[in-house]
Amino acid sequence: MTASFRSIVERHDVIVCAGSGGVGKTTAAAAIALWGAKHGRCAAVLTIDPARRLADSLGLPLAGGKEVVVPTELLRAQGIDASGSLSAMMLDQKGAWDSLVERHAPSAEIRERILKNRFYQHLSQSFAGSQEYMAVEELARLRDSGRYDLIVVDTPPSRHALEFLEAPRRLNDFLDRKIIRWFVKPYVAAGWPAMRFVNRTAGFVLRTLEEATGITVLAEISDFFGGMQSLFDGFSERMDRVYRELKSPKTAFVVVSSPEEEVLEEAEYLSDKMAALGMPLRAVVLNRVHDEFTDPIDRADFPRGEIRGDDQESVEACLTRSGLSPASLVERLARNFVAYQDVARGDGLRLEMFARGLPRQVPIVRVPNFSTDLHQLGALARMHPYLFGHS
Amino acid sequence: MTSLFDRRLLFIVGKGGVGKSTVATALALAAVRRKKRVLLVGLDFDDRARSIAGLRQAEGRDAVEALPGFFRQNVEGKAALEEYLHLIIPVRRVLKAVFDSKVYQYFVAAAPGLKELMAIGKIWYEVDRGRWDLVIVDSPATGHALQYLRMPKTASETFTTGLVHREAKRVWSLLSDPKATAVSVVTVAEELPVNETITICNQVRGELGLPEGILFVNRFHAPDFSQAELGRASVSSRRGVSEPCDALCKAVFTAAEEEVSWGTLNERHRQKLVAETGWQVVVLPFLFREEFGFADVEALSERLDDADRPRGKARRAEGHP
Repeated sequence: MTASFRSIVERHDVIVCAGSGGVGKTTAAAAIALWGAKHGRCAAVLTIDPARRLADSLGLPLAGGKEVVVPTELLRAQGIDASGSLSAMMLDQKGAWDSLVERHAPSAEIRERILKNRFYQHLSQSFAGSQEYMAVEELARLRDSGRYDLIVVDTPPSRHALEFLEAPRRLNDFLDRKIIRWFVKPYVAAGWPAMRFVNRTAGFVLRTLEEATGITVLAEISDFFGGMQSLFDGFSERMDRVYRELKSPKTAFVVVSSPEEEVLEEAEYLSDKMAALGMPLRAVVLNRVHDEFTDPIDRADFPRGEIRGDDQESVEACLTRSGLSPASLVERLARNFVAYQDVARGDGLRLEMFARGLPRQVPIVRVPNFSTDLHQLGALARMHPYLFGHS
Repeated sequence: MTSLFDRRLLFIVGKGGVGKSTVATALALAAVRRKKRVLLVGLDFDDRARSIAGLRQAEGRDAVEALPGFFRQNVEGKAALEEYLHLIIPVRRVLKAVFDSKVYQYFVAAAPGLKELMAIGKIWYEVDRGRWDLVIVDSPATGHALQYLRMPKTASETFTTGLVHREAKRVWSLLSDPKATAVSVVTVAEELPVNETITICNQVRGELGLPEGILFVNRFHAPDFSQAELGRASVSSRRGVSEPCDALCKAVFTAAEEEVSWGTLNERHRQKLVAETGWQVVVLPFLFREEFGFADVEALSERLDDADRPRGKARRAEGHP
């Protein structure tokens, strides 16, 4: 039997919203957390978006890395009566990494050196996966604090929903301890002259690359790992902790998608792959859907039993019979209506195909394409009936 | 202002999901109509994510002729760096050891921007070799795209000598030349994308110091009726023809109101973009289609013929196509 989206949110403590960019993931995550707060839960929404979209959507002064409690008065002013509470937090990726350095660097001098280290800067800011890793670290931290019983995570925009699940592992693979150990050996730290007689692949490769490009890296990499040894000694354990959080039965993965073709194509692949990773897909939110007109229609006017783009004249006839004038307005309104019908039919067909590729127990909720900015809490609540049904 | 189509290199940047590939392809088609030989470069993305139904994809590393005079090619940072290393480390056996080694990844990570620089270097090469009149680059989503564009200048300043310095310097002199290059931005006129776009536009002009192109506002709703007209024609007084007909009339008005609402929202954000970026804004209409395909990109490309008109004279999009 298909569970309802509502019961999925009710039964889980962590909801991870994954999906590609531009589908309204941030908005959906905020709306889910807000619903939780309305229904008595201590809810937090964690956004990872460097573009400050959550701050924009909530109209809150969100500074990176700090949890902000949305004041009850603010909720009430927007017509929301919350028996629980709502907090929001925006991940500060650089800040989170820097505080790891603070904690693990053995001295203030080494700390300063590492913060300026090019290898560190790349790893913390642009290495594919470091942002996702930090997001899950923050999630684990919020869980450990015990302050929340519902945490909704808005994942970084990616081309693919799976990226979020795979990224922390990628960072772990990259930080291979065998290689790290090599970099912190005393003769490496002493630089190339001391390594004249050390004939290892690693040394050979680096040297070749340095000579070919004129870019020297050895000193910096070695300095970084040397200074941060205590961090990397426990890195695998941290990674395990982080994955335990993701694989917990209390965590639910929700894919947020728009009805566009390229986003929807991969439903089957996605749900199979997520199951294989041990993090099954629990629900799908289809956002920005255009709904088709489904009321009974007059077969005399529309023999096909549906209204399509080439039915403009029949729609005009009906409007005219109703006494609408002038004729030019009748024509423009009919044209607009059949145009919307075309878009809605396209959405409908793609969604049907998509649903066929999903396991039966995964609920799909459809949220319409609102023609207003959902930038305030009150406006976010407009998504609730579509997500959770009417209460 | 030099026409967009008279440049030799155009970058198309913007937030994910706003239609960058559509606009890039439409620009390419408009240039082909002007008898130009065009190369459309897909920078760092897999084909599947950005395919346009009915148009031949680029495969592998070589340019593919999708239509007469219109070529497509993918350029990827990692591959571009490997290609470059092939040139400077000609011994195959040595190279294999390098690429197979995990330390290679560490080197790439410790030399930040090197692979981005090499990808831009490859694009420079395509512009420089004179095979194309115009090279259009369809970039990855914003953050990553800016890393690419930032690289040549940063690298030419960071590495003061050597191959990388020389490479960075000649790429930068092409990128910063307003006669040759322009960075165009694509967005939709909704709140969150618009806020991000204002930041991008200011970065392109300020921090990056690159020549600005056009700001394309995609999927723009411009209804050819107004709220006032709808109000005057209110349907409530005209019930009673038949049940299906009444319901249909109601739905027609709902759709009309939705369109007016989109139109108002889009227009407000368009004005905000004009006011806060100072860029030349060109509007592309929302296309009501069951399925979006190549014919639609062609339709949009015809609108772009106006894109290089002098400031202020660009024609606004009409209502429904």
